[in-house]
Amino acid sequence: MYKRSSSVNQKGATRQNVTLKNSKKTRIKANVTSSFVMSLFFRQHREIFLKSLSRLLVSPLSSFMTLMVIAVALSLPGGLYVMLKNVQSVTSQWEQQSIISLYLFAELEDTEALALSHELSARSDVESVSYVSKEEGLRSFEQVSGYEHILSSLPENPLPIVLKVTPTQGVSLSSLDVLERQRVALEALNAVEYAELDAQWLQRLASFLNFGRQFVYALSLLLIVAVFLIVGNTIRSAVESRRDEITVMKMIGATDGYIRRPFLYMGLWFGILGGSIAILFIIAVSYWVGSSAADLIDLYHSNFELVFLSFKEFFMCLLVSSAIGVIGSWIAVNQHIAAIDLQ
Amino acid sequence: MEIEFQNVGKKYESGQEALAQVSFHLQQGEMAFLTGHSGAGKSTLLKLMMMIERQSSGRIIVDGTDLLAMGKSLIPLHRRRIGVVFQNHQLLFDRSVFDNVALPLQVTGADSAQIGKRVRAALDKVGLLGKEKYNPMALSGGEQQRVGIARAVVNKPQLLLADEPTGNLDPKLSAEIMNLFQEFNHVGTTVLVASHDLALIARMRHRVLTLNQGRIVNDGGFN
Repeated sequence: MYKRSSSVNQKGATRQNVTLKNSKKTRIKANVTSSFVMSLFFRQHREIFLKSLSRLLVSPLSSFMTLMVIAVALSLPGGLYVMLKNVQSVTSQWEQQSIISLYLFAELEDTEALALSHELSARSDVESVSYVSKEEGLRSFEQVSGYEHILSSLPENPLPIVLKVTPTQGVSLSSLDVLERQRVALEALNAVEYAELDAQWLQRLASFLNFGRQFVYALSLLLIVAVFLIVGNTIRSAVESRRDEITVMKMIGATDGYIRRPFLYMGLWFGILGGSIAILFIIAVSYWVGSSAADLIDLYHSNFELVFLSFKEFFMCLLVSSAIGVIGSWIAVNQHIAAIDLQ
Repeated sequence: MEIEFQNVGKKYESGQEALAQVSFHLQQGEMAFLTGHSGAGKSTLLKLMMMIERQSSGRIIVDGTDLLAMGKSLIPLHRRRIGVVFQNHQLLFDRSVFDNVALPLQVTGADSAQIGKRVRAALDKVGLLGKEKYNPMALSGGEQQRVGIARAVVNKPQLLLADEPTGNLDPKLSAEIMNLFQEFNHVGTTVLVASHDLALIARMRHRVLTLNQGRIVNDGGFN
């Protein structure tokens, strides 16, 4: 009965002798042991990687439900992101001529104003300058406002000379900053009392889009917290259902890391699979909404094309969801493994 | 493994004094029984050895190392040197006999060839070689206990602890189990068996430590 065990012992002894003999060649030995440790490390991780997947399949329905909740929670911010991207791409195509109106100081002479007008139109960032004299301004104001009587009762023309500067740069969401800088520079001129950029609607759109972006970020944050909680809760019940096993493992000398590992991989799987399903959701919804959006675009004879997520963005989505899975289960597992006492 | 208890006391937070002034020395390769009424402190003593509990006073020295000086991260390594057999055997019913016995080896990261060899050797020793594929649920009480023993010895521990290993077994099976422990002791393993089966202990002729209300009231051979 003991023959077997003693032969194993002898083998162990020979192995010790071998290591002793090799101890002179420490470098080689170190290499051998480190490569052994590495291969052990990878083998253990590969085994648990697959084993933890099979654990998900042990209770397919509840795993499926958890995956779906994660996928829905992740696809919401993802889908909003795609929508935002499209709105941005469609609005960035809207470009039109913009005008910066320079209201000159009232005491300025006509000749000085004309000189400034010539000087400005020579600049490279200015397409053209149109000169609106006080009288012209008054006439157009009368036509528009209907205040002829009040205006004619005034002792003198209150309106300033206006230079309407058309910049070379058209106005769009992306050029808004450039034009705003140009406006500030023009306003700094001595003769100019006040400069106005005629792009209020674009500025409103820009701040509306900015609001939309903030909204998507805030919502994403909330939903990511939700996914953390879902993963944490699922891992918690997985730990709970393996309480007996964990107790025995602790008793026979398993390290916390060893006990933790399969649950971390479980979290990783939830992250990878949940993220993948979320991507499928986003693609499906994009195409569904996209076909009706295409009809709309046709009506406006626009050459705009819908944009979807890029490959890089898919990858980021997967990366984020797997990170959430691992971190979420790490937090849950540490709390609950520590709570399992050996009694 | 050599174990020395020096005036060890254990007081639980509830105020209950489980052990008081316990001193004894278990030599390397020795076999001893630990006996006493239930609640006398047998389980607490075993838990202190496994570092499941920490003593309130005194020192426990294992192979020259004071357990109090051992950090938390070393506890798993300490437990790997000890094989434990429980009264309720603590087998996992979601896996085969083989996988139950393999658990202590898997935990250390042994490769599957080595695991297979050693698990079969351990099952052979307890006479269950043919039943490695069974679910432990399908085995009798005595067989389940032997699976528990195989798991305890599979990684060749230096110390074998058993907590009422024959509690639920009939006298014949109990004697077989005790003989198994004796055989492991013959190959050099230190063995400590907690049991209140005095008749059986008497027949084994080993050292007996008797606990009463947390104190050692008798330490010596059984006659």
